[in-house]
Amino acid sequence: MKKQHENKYAIYLLTDDLLHIIYKKGKSIDLEAAQIIVRDRMVIQEGVSLLVLCDIRELRIVNKPARDFFAIEGSLFIKALAFLIDPPVTDAMSEFYLSTHRTPMPTASFSKKSEAMDFLQKATMLAAVICMLPWNI
Amino acid sequence: MPNSDDFRVKRIKQMLLEMAQGNFYHSLDPSDKNDNVATLIVMLNMVNEEIRASFIHQGFVGSKHTPQHLVQMAFIIDTMGMIEMVNQNTCSTLSAFHTELVGSPFVNTLTEESQRKWLKKQKSITNRECSDSTMDLVFKTSEGLLISKNCNISTFGGKTESPNKILLSTILFTKGESFAKGIWGNALRPGKESKVPRVKLSHEDIRKIREVHDLIITNLDHQLPHLKDLAHQMGTNEFKLKYGFKQLYGTTVFKFLIQERLRKAKTLIQFSSLSLKTIAHMVGFKSIPHFSRAFKEKYGNTPSSLRK
Repeated sequence: MKKQHENKYAIYLLTDDLLHIIYKKGKSIDLEAAQIIVRDRMVIQEGVSLLVLCDIRELRIVNKPARDFFAIEGSLFIKALAFLIDPPVTDAMSEFYLSTHRTPMPTASFSKKSEAMDFLQKATMLAAVICMLPWNI
Repeated sequence: MPNSDDFRVKRIKQMLLEMAQGNFYHSLDPSDKNDNVATLIVMLNMVNEEIRASFIHQGFVGSKHTPQHLVQMAFIIDTMGMIEMVNQNTCSTLSAFHTELVGSPFVNTLTEESQRKWLKKQKSITNRECSDSTMDLVFKTSEGLLISKNCNISTFGGKTESPNKILLSTILFTKGESFAKGIWGNALRPGKESKVPRVKLSHEDIRKIREVHDLIITNLDHQLPHLKDLAHQMGTNEFKLKYGFKQLYGTTVFKFLIQERLRKAKTLIQFSSLSLKTIAHMVGFKSIPHFSRAFKEKYGNTPSSLRK
């Protein structure tokens, strides 16, 4: 299954079990933009949970309402999430987001695509184990 | 040079000074650069937003101050897009003189992106006799700081056949004044018999309560253990958990859980084809009637009406 979609803010590339989202340059993400981004992602996924590789290297502004939305509504149907970053700016952005928002799925940032893919594969197995534990304190 | 290190560091300094004075509504343009100064700007913007949000939920809970919604900036704009009037607060917020603003194009107070948005909006509303709407705009101060605001925009006409004008205003949510001094202050101040919170939350307590918050967020689809058990698991007691959670997040543990579950449910209803029953179970509701009732209470519509 291969699918491609594009909106004002991002390009979506869907292969069998991986969704690759590439954010466009110079876009400022507010709540309205975040809602469009998540809506389009969910429509593409058709209710199937996937691994998501999110290329945020060109992002500079994601405001708080958008960050809050991504953390709750935006976490639906994601098995594991890897941010592709380009230090220092997007490294700081992802670190800030992950330290202020707890996401229910395994999430991490990488500057190399191969490492990100590696993480996603391993995280799927880990997530399956964690899901079986109720209230994993 | 707008992109030189010196220039950007000056802007950072200016923003830090504003923050030191308690003004958390500014932001800085991060530019396209990918360097250490741009990183600092991005971090500063995000920290500023987090502080602003925490003031709203923590600063207001149990506060003896009355929260106020005050008009921060107000502009009257003519059909040509020129500013006819501004209030004094606008001048101080944008760090500009009254004479600089009045008679100049309104777009001059906005960032480039907002200028485009505004011109489009202005075109569509000037012909309407009376209208009310809102839109997000980013203002820039004369010192180069950015202020992102949700603006109320009203068009209105006078008694004569003069062309319509636009009233644009922004609101500032503030903690407001404390109780007045003197005789009025005594009349308004709570008496000795009124309840004063006696529980003192330590940093450790606050850390534990935040952990409970994170635990709920990451386990929305699981049933919440009894609060007593949850408190013991986290190394605190039920009373501190209940009281502290309300203090920190302005709501009860249970209401918070329901609210976060409903947020997810709403998105699932809108953008997935899953059945309502599946959605209810996915977000942690055991009973469908309970889910429908809670949903209607929060969003004013039943889950099924959102699908139609």
